[in-house]
Amino acid sequence: MLEFDGLHKSFGDNHVLDGVGFTVAPGSMFGFCGSNGAGKTTTMRIAMGLVRPDAGDVRWRGRSLDQASRRRVGYMPEERGLYPKMKVGEQVTYFARLHGLDAGAAGRASDEWVERLGLGARRGDAVEKLSLGNQQRVQLAAALVSRPEVLILDEPFSGLDPIGVDSLAEALLGQAREGVPVVFSSHQLDLVERLCDSVGILARGRMVAAGTVEELRRREAGRLLRVVVPDSAARWADGLPGVRVVSERAGDTLLELADGADDQSVLAAAVRTGRVTHFAWQQPTLVELFREAVAVPAPQEVAA
Amino acid sequence: MREPTRERGTEPRNPGSAALVRLVAAREISARVRDKNFIISSVVILLVLVGVLGFQVAVNSGNDQTRIGIVHDDVALEEALDAQGAALHVDVTLLALPDEAAARTAIENGDIDGALLTDGAQAPRLLVEQSADGSLQAVVQGAVAQVAVAQQLAAAGVARLDVPEVEVTALDPNADEHGQRVVTAIIGIGVLYSLLILFGQFVAQGVVEEKSSRVVELLLATMRPWQLLAGKILGLGLLGLAQIVFIAAVGVAGAIAFDLVDIPGELVGTAVSVVAWFVLGYALYAAIFAVAASLVSRQEDLGTVVMPTSLVLIAGFVVGIQASANPDGPLALITSFIPGLSPLVMPVRMAAGSVAAWEIALSVVLMLAAIVLVVRLGGRIYSGALLRTGGKTKIREALKAERA
Repeated sequence: MLEFDGLHKSFGDNHVLDGVGFTVAPGSMFGFCGSNGAGKTTTMRIAMGLVRPDAGDVRWRGRSLDQASRRRVGYMPEERGLYPKMKVGEQVTYFARLHGLDAGAAGRASDEWVERLGLGARRGDAVEKLSLGNQQRVQLAAALVSRPEVLILDEPFSGLDPIGVDSLAEALLGQAREGVPVVFSSHQLDLVERLCDSVGILARGRMVAAGTVEELRRREAGRLLRVVVPDSAARWADGLPGVRVVSERAGDTLLELADGADDQSVLAAAVRTGRVTHFAWQQPTLVELFREAVAVPAPQEVAA
Repeated sequence: MREPTRERGTEPRNPGSAALVRLVAAREISARVRDKNFIISSVVILLVLVGVLGFQVAVNSGNDQTRIGIVHDDVALEEALDAQGAALHVDVTLLALPDEAAARTAIENGDIDGALLTDGAQAPRLLVEQSADGSLQAVVQGAVAQVAVAQQLAAAGVARLDVPEVEVTALDPNADEHGQRVVTAIIGIGVLYSLLILFGQFVAQGVVEEKSSRVVELLLATMRPWQLLAGKILGLGLLGLAQIVFIAAVGVAGAIAFDLVDIPGELVGTAVSVVAWFVLGYALYAAIFAVAASLVSRQEDLGTVVMPTSLVLIAGFVVGIQASANPDGPLALITSFIPGLSPLVMPVRMAAGSVAAWEIALSVVLMLAAIVLVVRLGGRIYSGALLRTGGKTKIREALKAERA
């Protein structure tokens, strides 16, 4: 298990992390979501020993990560970092060696990953001569070349075209299949929803939601009802007991039902206003879950 | 996609500090020897050195050699030519020739600079290609005059002439030798200064490159800041050392081969002391340059942070040159103990030969103390500043970040 446990961190008066914790099982993918500045990068940097937490701990297989065990972690920082003038193959070899491979093994692993990520022809080129997408591949190769036991990737998909996204996703799924726990942050929630076994949503330095996408859905499900009545009267649902109109557009209405509100009476009201073509509980997308989770609480709640 | 084959017996190990430092150093060296700036600067330094040697050879060999052909054997004249050459510090080579025709051929072929023809009654004639240079004419004129005077004295019945010999008493018999040593030391600190500036810049650029490209974050996930710093300074330092040793070897070998110095031993001693002071100076300046560079994130901002240190280096160079003129003056005396200035002043004082062993020892100890201080304090600033990107980091912030 990769465990992030009770991480606290402040920079001056700015409380960036306020008790962040989650666990990632070997072979599973964890999608780390949150608004900009929510603390995702700080969390990952703490795991890599680049930031010292005020409190809390990151553990792998029950032991706190230290300089030695971090060498078994593949890391991709948010700000991509490679030597611009160093050749692709040499660069990947260098990182393999820093992670403890001997010269021969590092060279072979580098050749293999460069080839595998489709950079074989560019092996002898300086990194700065490559396109952004290809530089991203080199960065990934640098993270994967030492056969890491854990992968921690900060925004690995940003700046990639759809083909690049697919091949990176394929590579990460391959790693997870080999039993590597993968943590990555992303703003591309559809991608997180598609790839990840579990998701954590970070807001204002706290985990506001964590679990499988299914679990999160279940928590939110049973609250949003979508009713489509193409020729309904405007504002037909106003005044129904326990019902709030979330949106209404050309007969397509999204309703939020309070606990105990009667969905059958909503249906009856809908039938009265016209022919009902769609009536179903809404499956919230991750985007909606995210909006819900990171929404700033109403002012009176903060005051309370 | 092909799955990577899992190799047996090549499981990653946990490299120790020495291994990491070595890896970083090796990367620095291999990146730098392929760098255009490095290659160009090395070639320029070598060309300047060869130029200086060539200039010295040209200046020294201008007048001190002349080859004279003699038609008709005349022992007295030959002796006189040799004696005159010795008196005028001209290296005279004599070549006996059968007749005037042979003399003309030899001159045309460039075998001799001039031919002296003495056929009995006639006044001696000097044959030359175009014109007789000063030393040739002086030697020949002097020799002919000497022989003529001797013959006329003999004819007049004076067999032996007593000419009192002037006794020469040298006040400083080693002045020439000292001069050579000081000149060597000046050339030495010139090279030392250039290399300190050059390699200090390399270190500073390397640190900023890692910061600006953000690769430092990836590096620090696998090693500690001091390991990165040590590897960088060591790698470039080895390269710098190789370069200064090479320059010293070429310079010394050239000077000895072209016979530019009287006492090769002294030259070698000065060269060795310059190399040793380079090691100390580099350790101090590389650490300062690295720490200064860690405070900024862009190459454009590098100038402002390294300028104070560069100014100290320039001041040291100027004082060093001044010290060569007055190695026992108070300025040279004091600055030869100040860490940072001492590498550029002490070699000059040592070459001038006016330094006691304890003075050198004290200067070295002070320098070592400064290096330790800079590395310890600077290492903390460097650690704190490395991950702070954007704008210029203040030293106080860096120290605070290091503790956080």
